[in-house]
Amino acid sequence: MKLALLLLLAVTAQSATSAPAPYREFDPMEDYLPHVKGDMSLSGSYKNWKDPANLDWRMAGNPDENWKLNWKFMDPPFNASVHGGHFAADRGEEVFSELNRKAGRMGKFATCLGARKGNLKGLRTQFPMYRKDLKHVAGLEEVIEHCAAKEGRELQNGSYDNSAVSLFVASQSAGMPIKINVTSGGPLKSAYERGRKVFHARAGRLNLACSSCHTYQIGLHLRGTVVTSPYGDVAHYPVYRTRYQLQPLHLRFVECNLATRTQPLKPGSQAYTDIEVFLTGLTNGYPVSVPSERD
Amino acid sequence: MRICTRFFCSFAVVSTAWLSPLALSSGFPTDFAVDPTLVNMTLEPKVVVNSGKLEWVPFSRDLTPWLSLSHEDKRSAARPRQVKLVKPLQGDPARGRELAMARDKGYCIVCHQLPGEQWAGTVGALLLNFKKHHYPNELVFQQIFDSRVFNPISVMPPYGTFGILNEQEIRDLVAYLQSLD
Repeated sequence: MKLALLLLLAVTAQSATSAPAPYREFDPMEDYLPHVKGDMSLSGSYKNWKDPANLDWRMAGNPDENWKLNWKFMDPPFNASVHGGHFAADRGEEVFSELNRKAGRMGKFATCLGARKGNLKGLRTQFPMYRKDLKHVAGLEEVIEHCAAKEGRELQNGSYDNSAVSLFVASQSAGMPIKINVTSGGPLKSAYERGRKVFHARAGRLNLACSSCHTYQIGLHLRGTVVTSPYGDVAHYPVYRTRYQLQPLHLRFVECNLATRTQPLKPGSQAYTDIEVFLTGLTNGYPVSVPSERD
Repeated sequence: MRICTRFFCSFAVVSTAWLSPLALSSGFPTDFAVDPTLVNMTLEPKVVVNSGKLEWVPFSRDLTPWLSLSHEDKRSAARPRQVKLVKPLQGDPARGRELAMARDKGYCIVCHQLPGEQWAGTVGALLLNFKKHHYPNELVFQQIFDSRVFNPISVMPPYGTFGILNEQEIRDLVAYLQSLD
């Protein structure tokens, strides 16, 4: 009798706590190769922009061909003109140096970012990464905010100075291929899978997912713009934009959200970081390309 | 799936009744860029050169009623909804054309080609000479109201179900499309 009562209680408790899962819609979940060459089986445009020596400049500016270059003609070394990204990199170096030599603790800021013996070379290629001190996967801008706060300076994620430091750090890895491991398990793989799911999740007033355009409509027109591939895009952030000054990746997500009438999130939010991990996985093998610009 | 007999049952002009009361019971997700004291609570960022602070300014529209990408957002989306158009159509083609071009209404031109417009989208089906297809008004009305009824993975926004267009506006759009020779 007592056992039966306990069983009844357990069943009742179970049914009380198991509320139905919220109804959400997803685009068909595609598999993506976590390397930039995976674009060959998605848009096929990779062949046009993988090799700087063979970049066909005649395609740039032609609305039906431009997207096939994935805007790489605006990345270094293709774009040699001086633009706002260069000034931002200078500003970033200035702020970085101030933080790094603060209070006589030479190199502490760089060490906090993850640099070995103060050497920033190659550091950008490893982000996002799992941070023991933060106990989660974090992008470079979130870590910059965290490490700057330890030095007593506020560099909010998404702010110009934060992005400028990020750009300066990235510039020390310019030309080095992005290399994050999203296949061997652990927090980064989990974040990649979450990011893939968020990438396909419908949201907002228009019920669109990132993949609704950037997987299934690549090369097609949306009014005056042409949808580009998600592969190889992360390597040039933070990017100089004439309208937005310096734009880190998470503020690009905000811009996308607002354009598709979806409530934006704060830079550094887990959902944005997950998408960043996913897109960085899709950029593996492509060189860090900064300082870059977009229209 | 249900069939309604009068207009579209009790559909409100801008219905958000399908949302679970997340905003009322537990506040917004902590990662929302919002200011709850504003009428339009959604914020957009403003980058200030040579500053360590990111400014946020009010966005022109309140986007909080719709589902976001936040992991904390546990609301449900609106399910596909089948509706029945009550005749007569009584749509205004001229008004329909305005709606097709209006950024905050149909904005059909983003995806579809329409007569007399340059820089049209190519994502959606061609709508030039729409009349020649002889689609029934009921079908066109449902397609605009909620195309997921016909295709569960349609990328066309569910204009009626999500409250973007009201019933008369959809009637006007149907009238406009059916007028395209």
